[in-house]
Amino acid sequence: MGNYLKKKALRNIFGDHLIYLGKKNKKICVVSCDLKSATKTSGFFKIFPKRSFEVGIAEANGLGVATGLALKGFIPVISSFGAFITGKFLEIRTSISYNDVPVKIIGTHGGFIGKDGATQSGTQDLSLMTSLPNFEVFQPCSPIETKKILNYIVKSKKPSYVRICRNEVGEVYDKNFKFLPGIHKELIKSKVNVIISSGPLIFNCSDAIKILKKKNIKTGLINVNSFKPFNFKLMEKLLKNKKNVLVVEDHVSQGGLSGLVYETIAKSKMSKINLKSLNLDEKFSESGTPNDLEKINGFDSNNIAKTFYEKFKLAK
Amino acid sequence: MFKKNKLKKFYSNSSKIRLDIIEILFKAQSGHSGPSLSIVEILNYLFFQKKIYKNFNNRDNFVLSKGHAVPALYSILFNLNLISKKNFQSFREIGSSLQGHPDRTKLKYIELGTGALGQGLSVSIGFALGNLMLRKNKKSFCLIGDGEIQEGQIWEAAMYAGAHKLKDLCVILDNNKMQNETHTKKTLDIMPLKKKWEAFNWKVLEIDGHSYFDIHNAFNKFYKEKKKPTIIIANTIKGKGVSFMENSAAWHSKVLSEKDYLIAKKELI
Repeated sequence: MGNYLKKKALRNIFGDHLIYLGKKNKKICVVSCDLKSATKTSGFFKIFPKRSFEVGIAEANGLGVATGLALKGFIPVISSFGAFITGKFLEIRTSISYNDVPVKIIGTHGGFIGKDGATQSGTQDLSLMTSLPNFEVFQPCSPIETKKILNYIVKSKKPSYVRICRNEVGEVYDKNFKFLPGIHKELIKSKVNVIISSGPLIFNCSDAIKILKKKNIKTGLINVNSFKPFNFKLMEKLLKNKKNVLVVEDHVSQGGLSGLVYETIAKSKMSKINLKSLNLDEKFSESGTPNDLEKINGFDSNNIAKTFYEKFKLAK
Repeated sequence: MFKKNKLKKFYSNSSKIRLDIIEILFKAQSGHSGPSLSIVEILNYLFFQKKIYKNFNNRDNFVLSKGHAVPALYSILFNLNLISKKNFQSFREIGSSLQGHPDRTKLKYIELGTGALGQGLSVSIGFALGNLMLRKNKKSFCLIGDGEIQEGQIWEAAMYAGAHKLKDLCVILDNNKMQNETHTKKTLDIMPLKKKWEAFNWKVLEIDGHSYFDIHNAFNKFYKEKKKPTIIIANTIKGKGVSFMENSAAWHSKVLSEKDYLIAKKELI
């Protein structure tokens, strides 16, 4: 893993990089649903007013407008809270997915977002979006990964959903990192133990692995940035000969990363793997600081480490 | 005002379009007859008089938001020789590019796949905004149903287009006064239509949706409009042209028997 640099919020990285991409490609335009400052598209609106559309508190119309712009050859990026925008599922399903139109949906505020509580927290978005034909679904964990995913989606002819969490994070990649859909990255190699995660929780997992190391439990780390396409073969290869696997995700248990890892194992012949998952089960999130929410739900590094050695009976 | 020959040609073309709609609905033994027959004159005018698809690569955009009425659009495309007879007759069959509801990924003349109601107008706004950015002086047409405006998204879109004065956007509201189960008035009254759309800052025109004279005048007014989006409330008859289908909610999607088919055909030839 790379070094921790100064921590940055990925939505800021998104907003800044969108301006950079907007300067390079005049087809890129942005649709906002009254959340420009929260989703960090205000800068784009200021610099490119003619390519910026504020539809107001009307996500369904925003998605349709973006569809029309894409059909006219533009590259519309529509951003809102993941919980809100994926709630317009029928509009995404019919206008975008069924029509196979390259609209780029950015769902910010995934996972534990803070004191605004459950209604604003995207904790079912990946499940909804991975169910849609034609869609590509990604989640970055770091600034470089965010930029590389954005570079990719504005070139892709497919509709995309990118889940961006609110946490401030460091870096795990260097600038030569190449993003390709479906390529899971083994950030820390190991022989028998591994944690699989996605998004900023990668950093909690990385800290948990340091705690485990002190207990002489060597554990690897796999970062999944591409939920759709999901490369089952590659995941199978990465899990070969592994004994204890823990999946960590800030999402409900159905339709997220845990499901994809379970599916990988079911499709393969790896019957000897012990697999556990730390997720939101069937719960909504609640109000609280992101740190407190992580703690109370067991996603802090101490608890991830504890879960690992207790569930797999590794502690002496 | 209009030459007799032109009017005669217009109405005979409408009969031919209706006949072809009945042909494929009977062959498919399913589909939506009433809501297809009510929009024939409007489509006939846009595609044969205004010739909006004459140069398809540089066309005015058309979205059929009430996707279940697609047999009418297929019949238009067939009569424009844009789809073959064989293709036309494969409507609703497995592997056909003429799906039960329009599918743009299978047929290039479909600009937007629709079916879940209420979504087309937003996309037509996207077309209009795209044309403005491209500096193309093109029109964006969207045909919606009267029952369809019960969907909330229609009003999100109406508010946006009115506020942004999208003068190149034209909605045609097929006011056939019925929806899937029964009269709109009994389901959820949508009246008063004119006041609603005026309040959303649209230019509102109300016409007989089967009259060439009314349709021609309304579209001419739209082409001259400089300040607002236009909505043409077309008062129509559901099932228009086939006596036993007219004003019948049952014929929203009833299957044609051979007897029904023969009577309808006789009335339309």
